[in-house]
Amino acid sequence: MNLSDLLPLLRFLAPEILLSALALGALLGEAALSRLLGVEKRQNLLGWLALLGLGACLVILGDQAARGETLALGRGAFVASPFNALLKTAATLAVMASVTMGLRAPFVRHVGENYALVLFSLLGMFFLLSAESLLMIFVALELTSLPLYALAASQKGARRSIEGGLKYLLFGGLSAAFLLFGISYVYGMSGQGSLAGLRDWLVAQRTAGGPGFLFLTGVCLMIVGLGFKIAAAPFHLWAPDAYEGAPLPAAAILASASKLAGIVVAARLLLGAFLPVAGNVLGSPLSWHAGWSPAVAALAVASLTVGNLAALAQRNAKRFMAYSSVAHAGNVLVAFLALDASGRPAALAAPAIAYYAVIYALTNAGVFAAIHALAWGARGDDFADFRGAARRAPFPAFFLLIFLLSLAGVPPMAGFFGKLFLFMAALQADATHWGLAWLVAYALAMNVVALGYYLRFARVLWVEPAEDLRPISTPLELRVALVALALLVLGLGVFPSSCLAAFRTMGGVLLLRG
Amino acid sequence: MSTYEHGYLIVGCLMLVALVVASTPLLLAACLRPRKPSAIKQATYECGIESKGDSWIQFKAQYYLYALAFVIFDLETIFLIPCAVALNQVGFFAFLEMTVFVGVLLLGLVWEWSKGVLEWR
Amino acid sequence: MEPPGLNHWLVVSAMLFCIGAAGVVLRRNLLVVLMSLEIMLNAANLALVAFSRYGNGLDGQIFVFFVITVAAAEVAVGLAILVALYRLCGTVRVSDIATLKL
Repeated sequence: MNLSDLLPLLRFLAPEILLSALALGALLGEAALSRLLGVEKRQNLLGWLALLGLGACLVILGDQAARGETLALGRGAFVASPFNALLKTAATLAVMASVTMGLRAPFVRHVGENYALVLFSLLGMFFLLSAESLLMIFVALELTSLPLYALAASQKGARRSIEGGLKYLLFGGLSAAFLLFGISYVYGMSGQGSLAGLRDWLVAQRTAGGPGFLFLTGVCLMIVGLGFKIAAAPFHLWAPDAYEGAPLPAAAILASASKLAGIVVAARLLLGAFLPVAGNVLGSPLSWHAGWSPAVAALAVASLTVGNLAALAQRNAKRFMAYSSVAHAGNVLVAFLALDASGRPAALAAPAIAYYAVIYALTNAGVFAAIHALAWGARGDDFADFRGAARRAPFPAFFLLIFLLSLAGVPPMAGFFGKLFLFMAALQADATHWGLAWLVAYALAMNVVALGYYLRFARVLWVEPAEDLRPISTPLELRVALVALALLVLGLGVFPSSCLAAFRTMGGVLLLRG
Repeated sequence: MSTYEHGYLIVGCLMLVALVVASTPLLLAACLRPRKPSAIKQATYECGIESKGDSWIQFKAQYYLYALAFVIFDLETIFLIPCAVALNQVGFFAFLEMTVFVGVLLLGLVWEWSKGVLEWR
Repeated sequence: MEPPGLNHWLVVSAMLFCIGAAGVVLRRNLLVVLMSLEIMLNAANLALVAFSRYGNGLDGQIFVFFVITVAAAEVAVGLAILVALYRLCGTVRVSDIATLKL
């Protein structure tokens, strides 16, 4: 490679380079300032610098999305496309919300390291959202997860934080091992490292006697690994503990950006690379075809059931959000199954998944930001601590209501259209025979349950009497973040079809290039 | 059966005999002995002295940090060595890349130093 | 007798993976659980190297380089959290960290 090839490379990699520089800068800034400034000053200074850098990232990503150019490096190791830039923008926005939450709440002593971990994790997500090769997916997934383990355990004085982090680490490590073992079989049987290569190999194998038993074992092991990452039941056991133990800004990343990246990479793998071995789950179980679809259908049904029913019984806001995230994983998995009898995905499926993942990430970031604002004056984060919080802090409570309604899927909000598109895609897949109607009907029934528990949380905030009437003040930057996220959630809901159309025309959408 | 595998058969037989010879007295003893468990019998044997405290004693955390830092830096050589071996083939660009890589590691070292991880107290 | 081929290595790797998984699920000491996780990753490494050696080119071995590094980073984070847990609670046993329930 010549130096003259380097310049376009630098332009496409600019967000990643900037982000690495920011993360290293946060580390060195902490090292330089730790003897000069107090914790709170450092927290503020480094936090604003991080926000500034992330803002610059947003500008670069916007430029990439607007230019509409695509670059693929090293057999899919890194693909920069306008669509990927858009997904990265959503992840960056969610992380910015998390950084904003942490600006005035010194929840850790090592503030520079805290920001560095957040930024490294975002860097991992950037690479994950651009990865179309097995190696890159694995390394990026670990770069995303490892800082999150540390962040979840970052309140070293609190037992539940450390235990939550430890559980997250153990389950995350287990998922990485499953994923890697699956990858080793998939790579070994096919000899392909890139997702596009895998898909072509699988298509060629249709006439050459099928991909073989070991390959399918590998795919199943990878599904287990991915199931852990997106917290689909029965691989969700880490989520409630990790969410509850993690400090709110870290939990916000777990629930938003990390989930977005996980869903996108699962879609790239299953609907992109492994599409030829999908099988289907149309109609009655007797007419199903073997492939990954039945396994994913089982995950979807289990997630919808466990997530929604367990969320009903929760008393802690963070655990509640964890089970809600399990339920949403179930929702999004429904669209993964939107394949017709010949194994082609519905036209709506990939854009709907991407749209839903983006909406979900932004909404969840909003929920956690609002909970953070309300928790300012509360003793803890149980529902009981938020009783009548709307009277004490109407501003964040109002926005929390908006975000909760969006999660519940109430019409004017983006969350409604997200779910609508997912289920429409599933019905579209085999429209003549209503092949997936059984799953969609079940998902709808479970979403009615979901409406109930989101409204219950809203009721705690707005209807129940407050014991303590002292007002809670919300810092300005948190208000700005809440308004911005709410505008995004509402805006994406006002123009859902144009957003979806944009996602679709951006080329390749979720699926692989070429 | 070839002589090669025949050799292993003999080893196998020997292992079997060894297992039987070693386990028979133990099994016999387990069947014949009276059972009178007590706390003092369960205690760890420390050459006659009464054992004190927990076996999970605490080492200094500084030592852990030092070891962790060592493991991380030690492993980076697996990227440096292939690059060094093939430097003539991969050219100047790869050299630049490795410089950046080592530079990032160096920044990490600077951070560790300023955080006092490298002081062995 | 023929030298070991791809299938032999794959059997060993599958056995290692199962040993690791059993260790993660069954062992009571968190340090051992972390080690078992490493065994699982190394089982995958063995499979990758074997596939690479028997006809798939060098990609698999490059993969292993990255996996080794990632595994070390994971252990570093894991041990750090474990040290923090021990300082706080004085225990590294699985049964003692069950305060968080379903």
